[in-house]
Amino acid sequence: MSDFAIADTCFLIDWSLWKKRDIIFQIFKTIFVPEAILNEVKSEGVISWIAEALAQGKLSLFTETSEILEEARSLIERSRMTPGIRGVDLPEAICLVVGKRRGYMVLTENRGALMIVNLFEEFSNVKVWRALEVIAEAIRRGILQTPHIENIFMEYEVETKHRFPRVDLDNVIRKLREEAREVA
Amino acid sequence: MIMSSESLEKKLEKWRKLEEEAREIRRREANWDFIEKQPPRLKAALKYYIEFGDIRTAAKIAGLAIDEFRMLLLSAGIPTVV
Repeated sequence: MSDFAIADTCFLIDWSLWKKRDIIFQIFKTIFVPEAILNEVKSEGVISWIAEALAQGKLSLFTETSEILEEARSLIERSRMTPGIRGVDLPEAICLVVGKRRGYMVLTENRGALMIVNLFEEFSNVKVWRALEVIAEAIRRGILQTPHIENIFMEYEVETKHRFPRVDLDNVIRKLREEAREVA
Repeated sequence: MIMSSESLEKKLEKWRKLEEEAREIRRREANWDFIEKQPPRLKAALKYYIEFGDIRTAAKIAGLAIDEFRMLLLSAGIPTVV
């Protein structure tokens, strides 16, 4: 996986509500934040975390080029013209295009972005993680340690009022337990 | 390019089920008393979010930034489900 990621607004907002939010900087060397996303954030708690991480070099501003913007706008149009797919807006579209062009991990909680990677072939190689996958990776690397894996996910859900789809959560916990057994 | 219609339909069905699950969770956990006491614009935005889960459009209806609307969701007991 890439040491670099690019994060969208919904991911940053939800993730910033968690007490253990800084563990993400042990997974990625740099997380890029497109300017279009920074412009969307207004509340003190979220913006102060982002500003502090920018100052420390853990987050980095990503300035969109005209080519990226052009492809992102085209993706927005396609997402809105395809029946059954939730349309994406410019911030998520930029993240997906950058993920495709640069190979960065895309951090998102946007269902439209997840659908595009699942349904559009030219975006099928884009790696997308939600908080669910980030927490799983932190457990896998020993950054988060606990005898009860499910408690960490529950803690995230309680503190952020974010809910993971049950099937996805059960699959991730089962996989982490299998991996732990193999290592033992 | 989008995938073959059969494969697409199967995947869209999976997404429809996930969205229905998410909608049920939002409806169940929402503090409806809180929602009904909000000014019309915020109330409409919260109800829109519960039904569709589209935070950006809901925030626009409310006239708030996305993160400000997310804080309103917290106050209204409405989870994000992704």
